[in-house]
Amino acid sequence: MSSRLIGFVLAVVVVLVLAIGAISAVVIVRGGGGEGEEQRAQPTEGAAGEGDENEGKDRGGTAGELRLPGADPITLDPALAVDAESATYIVEIFGGLVTIDLGLNIVPDIAKELPTRENGGIVDNLDGTVTYTFHLRDNVVFHNTNRLVTASDFKYSLERALDPSTASPVAEAYLGDIVGARDMARGRAEEVRGIEVVDDFTLKITIDAPKPYFLAKLTYPTAFIVDRKQVESDPRNWTRKPNGTGPFKMGEWSLGERIVLEANDRYHLGPPSLETVTYLLAGGSVLTMYETGDIDVAGVGINDIDRVADPTSDLNAEYLTGDDLSISYIGFNTQVEPFDDPKVRQAFAHAIDREKIAQVVLKDMLPVAQGIMMPGLPGYNPESEALAFDPELARRLLAESKYGGPDRLPTVTLTEVGGGAVVGFDTQAMVEMWKENLGVEVELEQTEAATFFEDLDAGRLHMFLAAWIMDYPDPEGIVDIKFHSKSRLNDPRYGNPELDALLEEARTEQDVNRRMSLYQQAEKIIVEEAVWVPLYYGRDHVLVKPYVKGFQSPPMVIPRLRYITIER
Amino acid sequence: MQGILPYVLRRLLWAPLILFAVSFITFTVARFGPGDPISVAMGQFRDPEALARVRHEKGLDKPLLEQYRIYMWGVLHGDLGESFRFRDRPVSDIIFPKMWVSAQLGLVALIITFGIGIPVGVLAALRQGTWVDPASISTFLFFQSVPVLVTVPVMLLVFVVKLGWLPTGGWDGIFSKHIVIPALALSMPGIAGVARLMRATTLDVLKEDYVRTARAKGLREFTVVSRHVARNALLPMTTIIGISLVTLLEGAFFTETLLGIPGIGRLAFDSVTSRDYDIILGLTLVLATAFITANIVIDIAYTFIDPRVRYGRSAAA
Repeated sequence: MSSRLIGFVLAVVVVLVLAIGAISAVVIVRGGGGEGEEQRAQPTEGAAGEGDENEGKDRGGTAGELRLPGADPITLDPALAVDAESATYIVEIFGGLVTIDLGLNIVPDIAKELPTRENGGIVDNLDGTVTYTFHLRDNVVFHNTNRLVTASDFKYSLERALDPSTASPVAEAYLGDIVGARDMARGRAEEVRGIEVVDDFTLKITIDAPKPYFLAKLTYPTAFIVDRKQVESDPRNWTRKPNGTGPFKMGEWSLGERIVLEANDRYHLGPPSLETVTYLLAGGSVLTMYETGDIDVAGVGINDIDRVADPTSDLNAEYLTGDDLSISYIGFNTQVEPFDDPKVRQAFAHAIDREKIAQVVLKDMLPVAQGIMMPGLPGYNPESEALAFDPELARRLLAESKYGGPDRLPTVTLTEVGGGAVVGFDTQAMVEMWKENLGVEVELEQTEAATFFEDLDAGRLHMFLAAWIMDYPDPEGIVDIKFHSKSRLNDPRYGNPELDALLEEARTEQDVNRRMSLYQQAEKIIVEEAVWVPLYYGRDHVLVKPYVKGFQSPPMVIPRLRYITIER
Repeated sequence: MQGILPYVLRRLLWAPLILFAVSFITFTVARFGPGDPISVAMGQFRDPEALARVRHEKGLDKPLLEQYRIYMWGVLHGDLGESFRFRDRPVSDIIFPKMWVSAQLGLVALIITFGIGIPVGVLAALRQGTWVDPASISTFLFFQSVPVLVTVPVMLLVFVVKLGWLPTGGWDGIFSKHIVIPALALSMPGIAGVARLMRATTLDVLKEDYVRTARAKGLREFTVVSRHVARNALLPMTTIIGISLVTLLEGAFFTETLLGIPGIGRLAFDSVTSRDYDIILGLTLVLATAFITANIVIDIAYTFIDPRVRYGRSAAA
């Protein structure tokens, strides 16, 4: 090859590279897109397949199909589910006695109505136990087999959840109030005495004390029913195509690729309007997929929120937020110096300006938390006020503490979950604020999740960043579980007899108002003693295509697909 | 060929020993690290008693050697264990389909990388001393310097969002449009390296007497290059190509994550962070076996490619 030819070829390559670079730059800078995007916004008439020659137009799925981003569930066995991802599918495929509606109210599912004391469904026994009587619907059938659901299915499923050979990490937590449940979980009994099958459609469950939050705990997957015949005939693989009683049944599950749920036309509360729901599990750039029409709903992260929240942007009309029943916070290990001194904790709390961080760093994506209980949770106190940003007060408190000031403080480390490469700006901001307002240099440590939880459980951390998501809509699930001195999940290892008394009274208080007031008093103590510094409540940000109607971002993982319709 | 069979046999005898050592070390290190799959899977609701009971059910509280024995016994029967993260799913069901996807993608990328890199390297060597030499390789250095995390979003923006030519991601087999962006992203960075290597070996070959002889004989330059130079310059590359084939099984984490490709890279990373012991071990064993096999195959291949190479007692030149 002559030098000239080579030179020519190379020049072509270089020119191509430069041209692509230039075109990319122009195309990127122009923003807003050209005609290509306009066309895509118009759906084509008639059935649209995926990936046909008409790319660039609406790449929508078939009519009646909703496409969402999702992740692989850890398991589809309701007895074993502990994470939100698995729960997302489980609540659509399975059902139990009661469920939660979009307003976060507990409503009957397979039970005909909620048992109350007024209708005789709840009876207080002489020995202090309480018996709930559930009358079941007589028209609930399992997917695929169409077998009628009876009360013995409940006894089987609940006992299976508690059976030690099922190895459920959470059954005891959610079902442990039932008389005899703990015995079964520990292998001391072959059945649960407190669950009684009266007849095919009547079930009695007896719990050990009058606990108002019991029905709320029954909304969690451990109380859902599974098909005994299916589980026993295929104990290893039945979850690949489970028989549930929920509004949707499992159509297809390709690991790492997609899950397709199909509508259950025989659903006892009314068949869903959607035909199928496809969860795309492979990940990828979700927002890009949304913009090209490959997906109907997309989450919005902090890098894209400016573009989406801008009222002049096309995407803004499709932008939806939903408050979550979750909270992120700073926890202090109250058994370790210097955080054994409440004045030190309070000083740290007063030294950070959470409002500013939320506004500047988090771009107002998350509401600032003023208490432990979040909006939407029964017991939420809108008047609750977290310790306010007050640097002078902070310095004074530190001076009044047993250390007398920042110089005599031992080294303080803030631990969070992370990869170690990058520190979030919000964390950085807090560390800066402590330095500036308190004169304390806080060291930052990042560990990955498994190590973090182990260190937390062993009491090795000083202060830590963590979050809590409500498992059921009752304040007991946070105020009691995270702060009672005997609770295993009390990470700050905080022991306050006055607080304990309030919590124990609230466990069995029947009057709703009085009960909530007890939790609010408990919350006040927790906030004032700075056991936690509440940071932000959870909030979801999603984009939803205009042809998807009835989509909500609910505060908890609850069944919601059956309320959605597609109108093209 | 005389010496090759005992040589291969000797190498094969070492293989199980190596595999045992690799698996034992991985097994031990994983289990001695902080955390375990059960506590990770449990997430925020961590009850030590419940954890202990589940660990017992899964056999995680047995002594280390006992657990290892149980595991290896299973492996010898073809059972790679079960995942903790994807509860009760067999490890082989999980890793092999994903490895296949990653391998297909990696193969296409490899073909591009070597397909472009080798000729460019030879070219640069042939034109050493002229401007062609540095210019040709530098052109591809651009792609080596820009990380995948940058090239993929740019390609997505240009080809998918603005132009609509290609799909956003996902996987539809090796012959679909889905392969374009990931294959490009994965292949471009490697070209410069391959080219430089090829250039170096070609330069060595060009100095050899037989090249001068071939030219002196009046052969056309193209024949000299293709028949004499390239074949000899490719020899050292054989090892590289062979090992690269094994790395196909490793997958590419960033590319797979950004483009939603169900490959093994993402799985491997997630399995480590969630302490999914059996998947980690399964992956390690498969990769170790592949490496050992590849090495033996490359060594055998050498005897065919380079007649000067002999093993065993008759190795004297």
